[in-house]
Amino acid sequence: MYNGIYKMDAYSFRCTGIFTTKMPTDAYRGAGRPEATFAIERIVDELAAELGIEPLELRARNWIKHEEFPYTSICGLTYDSGNYEAATAKAKELFGYDELRAEQQRRRDSGDPVQLGIGISTFTEMCGLAPSRVLGSLAYGAGGWEQASIRMLPTGKVEVVTGSSAHGQGHETAWSQIVADQLGVPFEDIRVLHGDTQISPKGMDTYGSRSLAVGGMALVSACDKVIALAKVIASGMLEAPPEEVEFAAGVFSARNSSGASKTIQEIALAAFAAHDLPDGVEPTIDADATYDPDNFSFPHGTHLCATEIDTETGFVKIRSYVAVDDIGKVVNPMIVDGQVHGGIAQGIAQALYEEAVYDDAGNLLTTTLADYLVPSAADLPSYVTSRTESPAANRLGVKGVGEAGTIASTPAVVNSIVDALRPMGIRDITMPCTPERVWRAIQTARGGQQASAAEQHEARQSDRTQGNSPQGVAAEGDDAPQTGGAA
Amino acid sequence: MIPAKFDYVRPSTLDEAVSALAGGGEDAKVIAGGQSLLPLLRLRLAYPDLLVDVGGIAELRGVSDQGDSLRIGARSTHYDIIGDPLVAAHCGLLAEAAGTVADPAVRHRGTLGGSLAHGDPAGDLPAVILALDATLTARGPGGEREISAADFFVDYLTTALQPGEILTAITIPKLGDGWGYRYEKFHRTAQSWATVGVAALARRSNGTVAEARIGLTNMGSVPVRAAAAESAAAGAPASRDALRSAAAHADDGTEPPGDLHGAPDYRRHLARVLTGRALAAAAGV
Repeated sequence: MYNGIYKMDAYSFRCTGIFTTKMPTDAYRGAGRPEATFAIERIVDELAAELGIEPLELRARNWIKHEEFPYTSICGLTYDSGNYEAATAKAKELFGYDELRAEQQRRRDSGDPVQLGIGISTFTEMCGLAPSRVLGSLAYGAGGWEQASIRMLPTGKVEVVTGSSAHGQGHETAWSQIVADQLGVPFEDIRVLHGDTQISPKGMDTYGSRSLAVGGMALVSACDKVIALAKVIASGMLEAPPEEVEFAAGVFSARNSSGASKTIQEIALAAFAAHDLPDGVEPTIDADATYDPDNFSFPHGTHLCATEIDTETGFVKIRSYVAVDDIGKVVNPMIVDGQVHGGIAQGIAQALYEEAVYDDAGNLLTTTLADYLVPSAADLPSYVTSRTESPAANRLGVKGVGEAGTIASTPAVVNSIVDALRPMGIRDITMPCTPERVWRAIQTARGGQQASAAEQHEARQSDRTQGNSPQGVAAEGDDAPQTGGAA
Repeated sequence: MIPAKFDYVRPSTLDEAVSALAGGGEDAKVIAGGQSLLPLLRLRLAYPDLLVDVGGIAELRGVSDQGDSLRIGARSTHYDIIGDPLVAAHCGLLAEAAGTVADPAVRHRGTLGGSLAHGDPAGDLPAVILALDATLTARGPGGEREISAADFFVDYLTTALQPGEILTAITIPKLGDGWGYRYEKFHRTAQSWATVGVAALARRSNGTVAEARIGLTNMGSVPVRAAAAESAAAGAPASRDALRSAAAHADDGTEPPGDLHGAPDYRRHLARVLTGRALAAAAGV
């Protein structure tokens, strides 16, 4: 994914793994794509600055054009669909890009102590893990299929069992919508079951923004089988050969002049009673399906972030944030917005707040949520979210959205901060961009009396180990915890 | 973590509370809103044998007009203070700062007296009452005594309150005409402690700042007054430049801590910047 959305003629990649004795970490939301996206989107901004080209213009010159999809990247991945031009145009408009650039120039010209930065992240990611053959080639221990079962109860209710277990992201709702559409049964008649191997013995679970693109497609396959089984029974009940029976919106009807029809829920009851089934027909229309995708899916989007940097204190305030995501067809817009909002917050947190800090002896210093900072709604802007739609190659046309916000937002924020301070000669600030780090970068750039950032960092470490701090040294045992306010 | 075992009493009068506390000896603690003490208990950094809950003592809550001053019951919550008309009229700085404490839940439970008796230099209100020249009233087995704010904060999490004493009221001289104020709080997230806070009061007269009082949050083991900046501001023209110059002395004599949110030199810098801003706002320029 390191090439992002850009066309490249050649590609060289080196990855250095470093073993440390710090806390082991596990897959973080986006697992790998946030890191790759951060690198590519930061580098593209630096390249634009070096070449003196407007950063969005440089991106547009190099990104894959919408008519070039499906597109096989230099790394060998085939991007299914996308329209970077459309998403970027929409984001620019919602953001007021040109107006903000004009304001940025005014603040620069007037020497305003509060400088404005504009950060861009035109990201893509790969999700819908994963074609089992690909996982096999990467020596994974398992495949990447997903399982679904549909049980057509005699009451007309439908039980949907999914192996893609939800933990709060709304599968119960979205899966019910999909099955309601496929089988033509009322949404409220569907019950989604998951989360316990006694209920759902097969499945690969939810991760890698795969649930909809893989688990959702397993539902579609299972629904196809249910309809095919029901059609045989319907054919007997309607006294018409199967090829003369049509299924639409939950109703089987004979194409002949009788005009007879049966709902799929009536068929379910007939199958259960089994009083009058055609010869040799099993008395059930329940079905299982296991879906293995042919390819990943590649959502993308354009995220734009405006920050105001107080150059006297180093404080970064996010003024506005626009996210235009293209995740293919959308099943449930509210769930998608929720995923995007949460993902952006998490990516902003990485850019500005979250850090595991150790002392020189390897002790973790950020041991409480007073020290390991996580933003709340009070620290974040109201996001503007919107979408463009480039359907994926699967039958639902869906991609994944569970990690998009996290992948996109971190470079948008850091690019914005660096953009604000670039006239001072600042080209990078280490994440998280704490007020102190931003302030020190400004001091160093201005060539004042401040020591280099590295020396300052050492000074900070030394202060910490002296134990004279009222905050952040709970590891030493004799200081009070920070608890959120007064008595 | 679950706190260590303790006994708990909730008296309904101040006299009962004082005798309960005296009976508990050195291992008895007063609890009001519990916003600082409960986390200490849960982390077992404090393990008193007895908690005396003053939450049921009506006489400790509320604001009354004493003529030249306001008397604020120690058990008044931040929320009480934020909305109190007497506070708004005569010492609005306290309400402004109380509005920045933690989050709404804490502001509804936490009390002014608890915040002061906890003695955390990172708390917002200690520096504020220092700047307001408040007097604190304590009641113990030997009766009542008054302690000036300047003498109240002894060391990190340590106040002049003796074991057996309960902080009962805070008396704040009314600000007269011409006074303006501002609490400038610098914190990394809305719910974080102040990295540095500045409580500034300025009295304007004929285009100058006749008098300034500045309390600093989290610039040492106790809240401190920025005496050098106060002197420099007194008599200065009421202009941003002049007040910024005065504020350049805000960190004189301070020994700020260094921690994850700021090294000492950064805190000194913040104290100067924030003092300049707070003075300008207080002076209305």
